[in-house]
Amino acid sequence: MSISDLLRFSFAAIIRHRLRTALVLIAIAIGVASIIILTGLGEGARRFVLGEFSSLGTNLLIVLPGKSETGGAMSVFSGATTRDLTLQDASSLKRHPQVRRIAPIVFGAAEASWQQRSREAPIIGSSSEMLSIRHWSLAQGRFLPPGELTQASAVCVIGKKIAEELFAQTNPVGKNLRIGDRRFRVIGVLASSGRTIDLDVQNIIIIPAVSAQNLFNTPALFRILVETRTRDSQEKVKKFIINTMKSRHQGEEDITIISQDALLGTFDKILTALTLTISGIAAISLTVAGILIMNIMLITVSQRTTEIGLLKALGASRYQIQIIFMTDAVLLAIAGATLGLFLGQGGNLFIHQLFPALDNSAPTWSVVSAFLVAICTGLIFGAMPARRAANLNPVQALVHH
Amino acid sequence: MRITDSLKLSSSAIFRQKLRASLTILGISIGIASVVLLTSIGEGIHRFVLAEFTQFGTTIIGITPGKESTLGVSPGVFANERPLTINDSIALKRIPHALAVVPSVMGNAEMKANNRSRRSTVYGVGPQMPEAFSFKLSTGRFLPDDDSNASRAFAVLGHKLKQELFAEKNPLGQKIRIGGNSFRIIGIMEPKGQILGFDLDDTVYIPASRALNLFNRESLMEIDLMYEQGSDEKKIVNAIKKLLIARHGREDFTITTQQQMLDVMGNVLNVLTFAVAALGSISLLVGGVGILTIMLIAIQERTSEIGLLRALGARRNQILWLFLGEAIVLAAIGGFAGLIFGYVGAQVLHVAIPALPVHTPVIYMLLAEAIAIIIGLVSGVLPALKAAKMRPIEALRTE
Repeated sequence: MSISDLLRFSFAAIIRHRLRTALVLIAIAIGVASIIILTGLGEGARRFVLGEFSSLGTNLLIVLPGKSETGGAMSVFSGATTRDLTLQDASSLKRHPQVRRIAPIVFGAAEASWQQRSREAPIIGSSSEMLSIRHWSLAQGRFLPPGELTQASAVCVIGKKIAEELFAQTNPVGKNLRIGDRRFRVIGVLASSGRTIDLDVQNIIIIPAVSAQNLFNTPALFRILVETRTRDSQEKVKKFIINTMKSRHQGEEDITIISQDALLGTFDKILTALTLTISGIAAISLTVAGILIMNIMLITVSQRTTEIGLLKALGASRYQIQIIFMTDAVLLAIAGATLGLFLGQGGNLFIHQLFPALDNSAPTWSVVSAFLVAICTGLIFGAMPARRAANLNPVQALVHH
Repeated sequence: MRITDSLKLSSSAIFRQKLRASLTILGISIGIASVVLLTSIGEGIHRFVLAEFTQFGTTIIGITPGKESTLGVSPGVFANERPLTINDSIALKRIPHALAVVPSVMGNAEMKANNRSRRSTVYGVGPQMPEAFSFKLSTGRFLPDDDSNASRAFAVLGHKLKQELFAEKNPLGQKIRIGGNSFRIIGIMEPKGQILGFDLDDTVYIPASRALNLFNRESLMEIDLMYEQGSDEKKIVNAIKKLLIARHGREDFTITTQQQMLDVMGNVLNVLTFAVAALGSISLLVGGVGILTIMLIAIQERTSEIGLLRALGARRNQILWLFLGEAIVLAAIGGFAGLIFGYVGAQVLHVAIPALPVHTPVIYMLLAEAIAIIIGLVSGVLPALKAAKMRPIEALRTE
């Protein structure tokens, strides 16, 4: 039997039962399409989160005060320790040649007011290098002036929303903003939208670190951001930071260093695992579709018993009969998977139209594996009916009717 | 035709084609099983998280410094120019129906005792903490009710910290150095475990005023107020607001009630359970397509039978219900099998991974069975209508 005969034989069966075939195709297509759409969503979420993180800066090390020896890493989060990280600590970290920029951070909340309007806002005390580290840009004016970290000046840079809410139509640059019980001259407005993980950039007020320390009456820093020149030098710089801090803090290692890469890696792993899990759950539906293929094939075998008997009487081997029915199953699976592919990609495009911020194109591995799994399903669930057809006794099959 | 006859006809059709019927049932049961399994996990996590939260009691109101709140944590907790003080917490005791008021501040410090040292978490709290959060002591006593601004230097150890520093020795009466200050150990807490990332056993509890000195801070991080069960929460929240505004001159704090937290949590977790149920029902949908296909084939094969029934006087309605009945019975059996698979699967999963909480509420099981029956009904309608519409003469003629 030539391949064209084989295909014709299979197609004949498929065409004869159009409705039945269509339903099987739909079943497979649902499975394949849902895998493609769900992995697309998972990947989209992963790309979104990773994008958010990398926008925080590149080659970043974050130095936190305090150190915890067990999993209770959350205890360092509050930032309260018996020995504070100070501005002098931050300046001392600049000495390493691989350290490119440094930004100390003092963090808190205070009331900001201009004329009659006031609101409470998160205050970030930092330095001029914060702008480059975080890749922010300005809509108006300039950022904090460069200079010694320990030099206080009464200037501030405000987020866009703060500018709108407090100054409305007035140009805020040059105006005196009241923060707590002090006055700060507005020298710039941030352009950046988006979030920095937990804070909306549009909602913050940035003042020099020392001024923030004075405002909140604390010598402590909340964190120190350290940007290294290259990615490879991170380990070296990490060691340098630990050693420097140890010598500055009477030999005690009381800081925690988080590297941006490690953080990214963790998120990457979690979200990839999540994507795999949901696509795995979607793949269960392909098993159900496989069972349907098997059922339909069994029915086909029993309906075409005479035909099979005739083929066998004409000298077709068991192997050939088996191939015929396997071809049938695999053709169904391929057609269904192709339909599912189009449905899935169409669904992804549709979702992308709804949420343009989400880049939810399905990764190649998921498309390929959905297709392969569908074909395997056809092979596995087609095997039993095909064997049953091959094992038919030609004489009995012929007298079947 | 009597009902028993219809049932007999439907079920005989299923039994005649045992393999075909069991494959169809298997398809539906996989769908139902995955829905039951996934919702069991969702519901288990839901209950676990709520239990984590409610173990502190539901009658707790938290007050944090700062008004602006992002992601539930106000930046005012870290630093602010209008501190929430211990005197605020003393004043809050005057609120009617307040049972306990606990000021708290948290930080990280090095501890030295028994010639060992360890870096860990320090909680500065008030003497009423055990009753407010239903914490229990294993030995000794908790911080005494001193004048809150001049508390004696006493410390209570968490279970794990005691093990790490003293192992099997009795630490009561011993001294512990926390960040250079000396405290006398007067009690040990019972193990409490990790709660939402905070290890409550690897900690030491000291008076809040001492902790503020230790960390060189003015402001508490939080004040928790526990009120009498059954009293009006809104009134208490208003009373707190009024009192603190009177003390601070304006509203520079945030009040969160445990109930609000629970409501938000509950909503989030319901969405989660719903999402996993939706994931599982993709298989159910495919199973439904399976029933539809098989029923269409069955009707094709039994055309002459339908013709005979019609010729003998069976009404269209009766034919309709005959096939609808068959579809529903298939789906219902599949649903039931799926319930058992799903339930057993969930239990096995729980035994295999004890950390994963599972819970299968009866109502979910009933719902899943109902969904299976509805799927049978929906996917049976088209074939059954097709059967009912057949003209008896033509149906009889087909071979």
